[in-house]
Amino acid sequence: MMTCCNPPWAIVLCFAALVMGCGPQRVAAPVADVAAAKAIREGLVTSVAAVAGAGEAAVAGTGWASLKGRFVFAGDPGQPRPLAADKDTEVCGKSEKLFDRSLRVDTSSKGLADVVVFVRKSSRVKSPATDAALVFDQKNCEFLAPVFAARVGQPVEVRNSDPVGHNTNIDGASFNQLIPSGQATTYTPDVDMGTPKAVTCNIHPWMKAFVIFRKDGYVAVSSIDGSFAIADLPAGEPLEFQVWHARATGGGGGLVLERPDLKWSPKGRFQLTLQADEVKDLGTLEVPSGGLGT
Amino acid sequence: MMQPKPPYRLHVALVFVAASVAIGCGKTPPASFRLNMVHATKTATPESGLEKPWATWAGNRQQQVATILEAMFGTPDSPVVLPETGLDAAKLQLAAGPVRSDIVGRKNGLYREHCGHCHGISGDGMGPTAAFLNPYPRDYRPGKFKFKSTWRDGKPTHDDLVHLLRQGVAGTSMPSFALLPPAQIDALAEYVRYLSLRGETELALFAYAEQELAGDEQLPTTKEFLVDEMLAPIVEKWQAANEGQIPIAAVPAGVDFSLPANDFANRESVARGKVLFHGDGGCVKCHGVTALGDGQANDYDDWNKTVVAMSGEVADGLQAAHAVSTGDLSPEKLADYRARSEWLHAFADVIEGDALRPRTIPPRNLRLGVYRGGRRPLDIYRRLYTGINGAPMPGIGPSGPGGKGSVADAEIWHIVNYVRSLPYEFDGELGADRPMVAKDRF
Repeated sequence: MMTCCNPPWAIVLCFAALVMGCGPQRVAAPVADVAAAKAIREGLVTSVAAVAGAGEAAVAGTGWASLKGRFVFAGDPGQPRPLAADKDTEVCGKSEKLFDRSLRVDTSSKGLADVVVFVRKSSRVKSPATDAALVFDQKNCEFLAPVFAARVGQPVEVRNSDPVGHNTNIDGASFNQLIPSGQATTYTPDVDMGTPKAVTCNIHPWMKAFVIFRKDGYVAVSSIDGSFAIADLPAGEPLEFQVWHARATGGGGGLVLERPDLKWSPKGRFQLTLQADEVKDLGTLEVPSGGLGT
Repeated sequence: MMQPKPPYRLHVALVFVAASVAIGCGKTPPASFRLNMVHATKTATPESGLEKPWATWAGNRQQQVATILEAMFGTPDSPVVLPETGLDAAKLQLAAGPVRSDIVGRKNGLYREHCGHCHGISGDGMGPTAAFLNPYPRDYRPGKFKFKSTWRDGKPTHDDLVHLLRQGVAGTSMPSFALLPPAQIDALAEYVRYLSLRGETELALFAYAEQELAGDEQLPTTKEFLVDEMLAPIVEKWQAANEGQIPIAAVPAGVDFSLPANDFANRESVARGKVLFHGDGGCVKCHGVTALGDGQANDYDDWNKTVVAMSGEVADGLQAAHAVSTGDLSPEKLADYRARSEWLHAFADVIEGDALRPRTIPPRNLRLGVYRGGRRPLDIYRRLYTGINGAPMPGIGPSGPGGKGSVADAEIWHIVNYVRSLPYEFDGELGADRPMVAKDRF
């Protein structure tokens, strides 16, 4: 007689099935602390008038200053990965082969391009956004600027210089428009972005760039030699700068440097108070090889 | 004299009776909202120099968010309505809680009766049936909706939600609820708004924690922070929906929607639409020259794309972590390395267990005559004008008031007409020698 078919075995199997249950295994999720929730709710429903004068003390400052520096990468960037351009091949990647541009390091100067530096919060700006349009172009099925910065309210001409149609899909903005070949449309950013957001073309999925729109316009993108500069910063107030790179391993893309003198934080930030007419040069900012995922 | 042994079957029966007495038929625990674990884990990148183990540190933060959300929105059985949300408490009451009748015999618990099994108690689009449906049910928590009358990233109006509930979504598992009394549909639309507001507030809290908190810092629990800073901007967008509707251009001459698209009266309009479809409209890029939806088939919608991007990030991170030789690390670096590994493994588990397996979104096959957002010319016009929010489909109208579209507003009606004609088009292009009918396209 086969033991596997004895009734006790069947019972064990049934029992095991009951214990195991069915349905996907979801991870345990923390649940609310009911008493604490009740206490918080009481604070929310009883409306308390805000105490006058509470909040941050206004910092009085006058004059303007600027900041500059240069990022270099200490590690080995390796070879860029070729992109599989498999659509519209008679145009895409025809004039020049396409490569992944998420880590661009200048071979001679070690300069790290496409690092974004911006002020997190500022109290004043020197001049309003200009009406002069910036151009965000795409050619050879590639966004010409891997990282693009603009000020909220400044028009951006989204152009398509390719003989094929593209759609420009900006994450986090109300923009995903088809741009027919050789045409352009104007988009005026109206959202203040906390971090750079991806721009993609859904027709050609390998196309990717990043954009950042800031209300105060205090934003810079490092050029191919790694240098950046932000002008007309408000002097006399503590400014917190966020440093971002597409491959940074810090939370939210924060680029972490070992610079205790600047109190560089694990979120990729540093603080400075600039004097009027000061041109602050941070010198060479070395990005350790572990600071960027490869 | 020995008693005869009771038969074996009796033993088994006794065991079962005893077991069911022991298990009992007590109350099931009250329903609770589930945290958005994918986002909760994504935003919990370990900082260097964490004093606690990562899981404890992240768990504390997650619990704090859960507590704040319960304070602001209550539980599935008893929702809380802060006046700042602008939600109608009476409507929510009808939709919330378990299915039951109130004292006057009015049906309560409508959401769980009609929606919860697909859209989930938390509105995360992960109800028990979700994994078996294609497309997956909508996850309301990011506050993104596809089929509406507003600008691309605008919220749907109340009427948009009601319309969708009444019509259902053709070609998906979403049925029509037109048989429900209007008051019930109204209550359900309000409840969807409630779940969205809650989900968006949750995302905002986690984003704030990631950006602004260091170490063991706690989220503020003041009214100024929770209501004015976190909730108000989200509510404002919902309340602006009615003013954010896209303009509808006048239908140009030569377009007669009272007649079939392939009627002689529409021939010039359809021909013009075809030119735009293949030209400046750019439709062929994804829907294909044949309009069978075979132009571009390997893209994801925003809901799935988030999961795809995160799985890639986790896989890369784990690969990089394996490449590190831990013997060379200083004690501080080793602690950071361990926290990071712990996070990556937890992230991998969450993606596996708390998100549906990502699926690509194929462009619609326009020869079928099935239109998810509705088949009226107006519905198709809106889809073309703003594109489909959350999906790869771009808009061909302006991106906002005063902008310039790829195709002039009035011309969009010709594309509408051409799209309407596609299920019936015959011009020899497909190599068929007979008129096209929808069933041949499968």
